[in-house]
Amino acid sequence: MIDSTPRRLHLLEQYEDGEDSRHFSLRIEQPAASDLAAKAGQFFMLTLPGVGEAPFTYVSLPDAQGCFTALVRRAGRLTQALFDQPAGSVLGYRGPFGHGWPLFFNAQPLLVVAGGCGLAPLAGVIEQASRQAMPARLSVIYGARHSGAQVLGRERARWQQTLPFIETFDQAAPGQRQGTPLLHLDEVFAAGPPAALLCCGPEPLMRASAEACLQRGLRADRIWLSLERRMHCADGLCGHCYLGSSYVCQDGPTYRYDRYLQLLGRSSPISQAPPALFC
Amino acid sequence: MHAYSLDRPERLRAHLAAQRRLYEVRPDCQGGQHWQTVSSQDRHAFEPSSELPPFSAKSFFFGERELLFRFDGGQFYSALPQVVPQVLFGLHACDLQAVAYQDQFFAQDAHYQARRQATLLVGLDCLHSCNGGFCSVLGSGPAVQAQTADLILLPPAEAGADWGLLAASAAGQQALHGLDLASAHADWPAQRQANEARVRAEQGSQEDIIEGIARLNLQAIDDSTWEALGLRCLGCSGCTSVCPTCSCFAPLDRAEGQGGALRERVWDSCLYQGFQQEASGHNPSATAGQRVQRFWTHKFGEDFRQRFDSYGCVGCGRCDRVCPGSIGVHGVMHKVVQP
Ligand SMILES: Cc1cc2nc3c(=O)[nH]c(=O)nc-3n(C[C@H](O)[C@H](O)[C@H](O)COP(=O)(O)OP(=O)(O)OC[C@H]3O[C@@H](n4cnc5c(N)ncnc54)[C@H](O)[C@@H]3O)c2cc1C
Ligand code: SF4
Ligand code: FES
Repeated sequence: MIDSTPRRLHLLEQYEDGEDSRHFSLRIEQPAASDLAAKAGQFFMLTLPGVGEAPFTYVSLPDAQGCFTALVRRAGRLTQALFDQPAGSVLGYRGPFGHGWPLFFNAQPLLVVAGGCGLAPLAGVIEQASRQAMPARLSVIYGARHSGAQVLGRERARWQQTLPFIETFDQAAPGQRQGTPLLHLDEVFAAGPPAALLCCGPEPLMRASAEACLQRGLRADRIWLSLERRMHCADGLCGHCYLGSSYVCQDGPTYRYDRYLQLLGRSSPISQAPPALFC
Repeated sequence: MHAYSLDRPERLRAHLAAQRRLYEVRPDCQGGQHWQTVSSQDRHAFEPSSELPPFSAKSFFFGERELLFRFDGGQFYSALPQVVPQVLFGLHACDLQAVAYQDQFFAQDAHYQARRQATLLVGLDCLHSCNGGFCSVLGSGPAVQAQTADLILLPPAEAGADWGLLAASAAGQQALHGLDLASAHADWPAQRQANEARVRAEQGSQEDIIEGIARLNLQAIDDSTWEALGLRCLGCSGCTSVCPTCSCFAPLDRAEGQGGALRERVWDSCLYQGFQQEASGHNPSATAGQRVQRFWTHKFGEDFRQRFDSYGCVGCGRCDRVCPGSIGVHGVMHKVVQP
């Protein structure tokens, strides 16, 4: 039976990580085996008692003590109230939920495209790749509106030492790369066409990236997206997170692109120009 | 499945009401009908209407407002409902099929199951179609399906004759213990078939429903048709409230004094504009047409039919009755077939 009662979660500390986001260290009290088996790309439900509950992705996965980190962008009532919580606060935790990224680190080059906060669900993948014997097999293109909107500053500084890590900006300062991640795909493809794309960001960015990669010869079944949907129960019951006949909280949030198109009821990719790529 | 003859259904009702809290649909003084408790001493005749009550049995199991947990400032405590054994007396086949559908959907939901497992379901075959019902084309009625009920009442063809009573489950059989009943006449299956044929004829071929389901699954309905239907949706949640298979909910968190808090869940509606609104502002179902399409895909989509082995619509026709924009099931299916 589903128990939708949260378990105790301790807020250890938080620090600024981007202009409107903070990096939280959290500890699950008495972590269960399922917590320790969480995978990159999965998510958890965080409760602030009396305020609400919302889904967040793991940036680092729970260790044996139940400690993990999450990046939270200020979006509304719950996230604002969370920013105001002192260290030591008791929060609620349910998880892990959903399906993480497929992890295949072999000799094939892999491409990660992230936009804005979409870097957070991919952190586990990049982290793992940066520790592999051949880290250069994974390339990242990370887009943000401007440098203040970038997140995971400490992690990026580390990854840039080991991986090809391209940063793009809608409003670039002198010396920065101007434009969306799409403008820089050719550079990565020229260095060696990737065997797969993992992508997370606003939905228009993900669709546009998927299509750009399709046009460059990558197959739809080699492209994965991580979708955001409004979620309340994470148990496949409340109905809010639907994507066609699928519930993103259970079947997602990662979907293969061909499956995503199928669920949208489209046989061919959507080719309308995205209005805005970043949140 | 054992078949009994029942001189008066009131005798069965009094017997069950002595064991459990019994609910029956009764008229109010204003032309409405409601589920009401009936005691074992009650002397009113059991006179079921051929019209469905405005509300199905849904809220008996999937509470309109349900406490999920409490927080006392330090610990979380789950809150399961206090249940008493109950019996719903006189459920129509369509509403029973809807309960069976919800049983699957909420199979892992502790709150739903606590209420459901404390409940005995007494079904009632229909002699005539209700106004606007189409159970016969969806296979959900008019005869109560054995696996959806504990006991099944078979009304007599002529007034004054004996009723039939089928024990459809072990719990149903056990509930009859102590009630002295003779076996039914051998002609009860033929009577049920005759009832079914009569209701089927009254409901007609329902071409719009059948063709509408086909077009929906062929994705042959263009966006402009959905948007035209969406223009008539007021987002009032009438359909989702009365629909016996609708199951969406939203959480409601509240602080209580001394650092305490609680979470409830309340019925929600996929037709509300903000149902999928994300914190980023992105809304994947921003138009009323998309939301109307979603509602009907959930009822008639092939993926859902395969998952539950039946359509999400049981053909009760309640949405037709309640929708102020005339886009209940027949309104929508007609427009979809003849845009
Ligand atoms: C799988 C998944 C993983 C996620 N991971 C992360 C993560 O790692 N980091 C992160 O920062 N975020 C993440 N998110 C997003 C995060 O869950 C939201 O930002 C969060 O729920 C916002 O909550 P809030 O209470 O602060 O905002 P809310 O106050 O709930 O909402 C803010 C805005 O949302 C809209 N809104 C909310 N409710 C309604 C309504 N009923 N009707 C209309 N509009 C409404 C309004 O525009 C409102 O101003 C993730 C989401 C998903 C689905
Ligand atoms: S969709 Fe309409 S006709 Fe079908 S079960 Fe729901 S309320 Fe009844
Ligand atoms: S979040 Fe409730 S169904 Fe997915």
